[in-house]
Amino acid sequence: MRYLKLGSRNIDEFLGRISNYGDLYAPQKISEKFYDYRKVEDISQVEFNYNRTITPAKKYFIPPKHEMFEFDMETGEYTETMGDVKPFVLFGLHACSIVALRILDGVYLNEYPDKYYAARRKAGIIIGISCLPDEYCFCNLRRTDFVDIGFDLFLHELPDGYLIRVGSERGHEIVDENMDIFEEVSNDDIENFKKFEKKRHEMFKYEGSFDNLRYILELTENSPLWDEESEKCLGCGNCTMTCPTCRCYDVQDLPDIDGKHGKRIRFWDSCQFRSHGLVAGGHNFRETKKDRFINRYVCKNAYFYPLGTSYCVGCGNCTYFCPAGIDFLKNLIKIRDVVGEVAHGEQ
Amino acid sequence: MKIGIHGLTSCYGCQLSMAVVKRILDVSEKFDIKYFYMLSSAGKIEHVDVAFVEGSVSTDEDEKELRMIRENADVLVAIGSCAIHGGVQSILFSEGIGYEEAFKTVYGDKKMDYNGRIAQPLDKFVKVDYRLPGCPPEEEEIMYYLATFAIGSWPEEKDYPVCAECRRAGNPCILIEKGEPCLGPVTVAGCDARCIKYGIPCIGCRGPVSDVSWFDSLAMSFRDRGMDKEYVKKRMAIFASRYEGLNEMIDKIYGD
Ligand code: SF4
Ligand code: SF4
Ligand code: SF4
Ligand code: SF4
Ligand code: SF4
Repeated sequence: MRYLKLGSRNIDEFLGRISNYGDLYAPQKISEKFYDYRKVEDISQVEFNYNRTITPAKKYFIPPKHEMFEFDMETGEYTETMGDVKPFVLFGLHACSIVALRILDGVYLNEYPDKYYAARRKAGIIIGISCLPDEYCFCNLRRTDFVDIGFDLFLHELPDGYLIRVGSERGHEIVDENMDIFEEVSNDDIENFKKFEKKRHEMFKYEGSFDNLRYILELTENSPLWDEESEKCLGCGNCTMTCPTCRCYDVQDLPDIDGKHGKRIRFWDSCQFRSHGLVAGGHNFRETKKDRFINRYVCKNAYFYPLGTSYCVGCGNCTYFCPAGIDFLKNLIKIRDVVGEVAHGEQ
Repeated sequence: MKIGIHGLTSCYGCQLSMAVVKRILDVSEKFDIKYFYMLSSAGKIEHVDVAFVEGSVSTDEDEKELRMIRENADVLVAIGSCAIHGGVQSILFSEGIGYEEAFKTVYGDKKMDYNGRIAQPLDKFVKVDYRLPGCPPEEEEIMYYLATFAIGSWPEEKDYPVCAECRRAGNPCILIEKGEPCLGPVTVAGCDARCIKYGIPCIGCRGPVSDVSWFDSLAMSFRDRGMDKEYVKKRMAIFASRYEGLNEMIDKIYGD
């Protein structure tokens, strides 16, 4: 892998340069406590130290609501309306967010190729950044705390700038075209990088592995925990909408009042909503709130085989953004305890 | 296709919303509007393919009129919070105040030429085929409902809460962040979380999400944030007093 250093004095310049490659989006503070990706109009607004965004990066590849095509009900023909997707730069993704995009790739590019996703994915330049965990983070238990692929550039914090890993051909092009702002990595930088990684590792609240969780979940569907916790649940869908790997959508045809034309739209759906499991004839695969509640736990803990990780990347969003205060991680730990499995360091 | 637009006891805001849609000319071209009380009192109730009914049943006359509309319509759509849930005027129901007492408080000994009662939604009396929620409904949804009928199809009702649209819109969650008494989790989506966009907590004007509004869970979340029972109960009852089991759900969390 190719390594470079970006000195503190060149950070603003770096942001300016990468915005030459397309519209720049980055985490920004949107309220007292929350951050979200927003278009960068002023580089001083870019946030380098944040824990999580209220909307995951998936919004740039599967927009929360978007038009797919227009149709003509008389001729039965349809016209794509997406047009060309302009190149854009997504700055500031943490490791778990990058793994999450690779999980989405598995679904939207490999399993069921989706042209809307593919076009946006191709147009997006991904620049990752290192982070320090808070008490909601458990990417280490998911083995998604470090990425070796899935980004164009990845920035690791140093006391006086960033150590950059170049992760793609496009990443190489970007650094080649801007060599004047980068330096070679020194021995001090390497030591500092190692120190940062060590500090980060020690900050994780839990240790161990969640690899057996899927099966334990399957074996404990009768646990009283599901009744207690689903009782508190609002069915509001905040957990799935803020989850970087939740990928369920709904599709709707909107006829025009002229009775001749119409458009098809697509928008984020959630298994926490009753209509998610509703099929023709009125049958519902997940009739009760408890069914829907358990479904998310099972879905997120299933294996994504191409990466060998679970669909959950351990970002903590679903807990942090749950208005009912339901703690996903604590529930998982409890469920494991039910059959006597405890990871090191767990209380 | 023949349609009728009716108003029972209400503010006529839903009818107004239907009258002022941008493409009203296209609507009038597509539909033969047999009855639209707000625009003309000359219409009489006759057979239509789709009848839209605004307002709650708050008098004996309302009930009679509603039954007549139903008998003459193949499809009946309840529009707005009053028709679907009884509206703000049904708040007395959850407070356990009877009609006589309420009347006396407001009008004293005056006599009226109608027989009133505590407001009720349409489905207490007749079959409601579809619900077009809102207080008043959004133009986009009005057009969607009309357009589906125009092609001989039917509208898909939303059965998810405002939170979904709040998240899609990328707003900060003011319930989590500021402990605001937001009713988004129990209110049917469709307004694109309008109030939250302006930092104002949802008051539930669009009404509960059919029968999947968990007022008990939300009451628990409010209680844990320090809100007292009377306040929570009042707030939830404004647009949801007729929601089945509302009081019981609140009592369950706070105790009687
Ligand atoms: S965010 Fe919390 S309350 Fe809302 S559906 Fe998810 S678990 Fe339930
Ligand atoms: S399930 Fe929760 S912790 Fe796991 S990836 Fe989704 S939001 Fe993050
Ligand atoms: S089924 Fe639920 S948990 Fe799984 S991806 Fe869909 S919304 Fe997320
Ligand atoms: S602000 Fe209100 S509507 Fe928005 S997510 Fe929070 S609770 Fe739901
Ligand atoms: S946010 Fe709530 S109160 Fe505001 S318009 Fe929407 S449903 Fe009504």
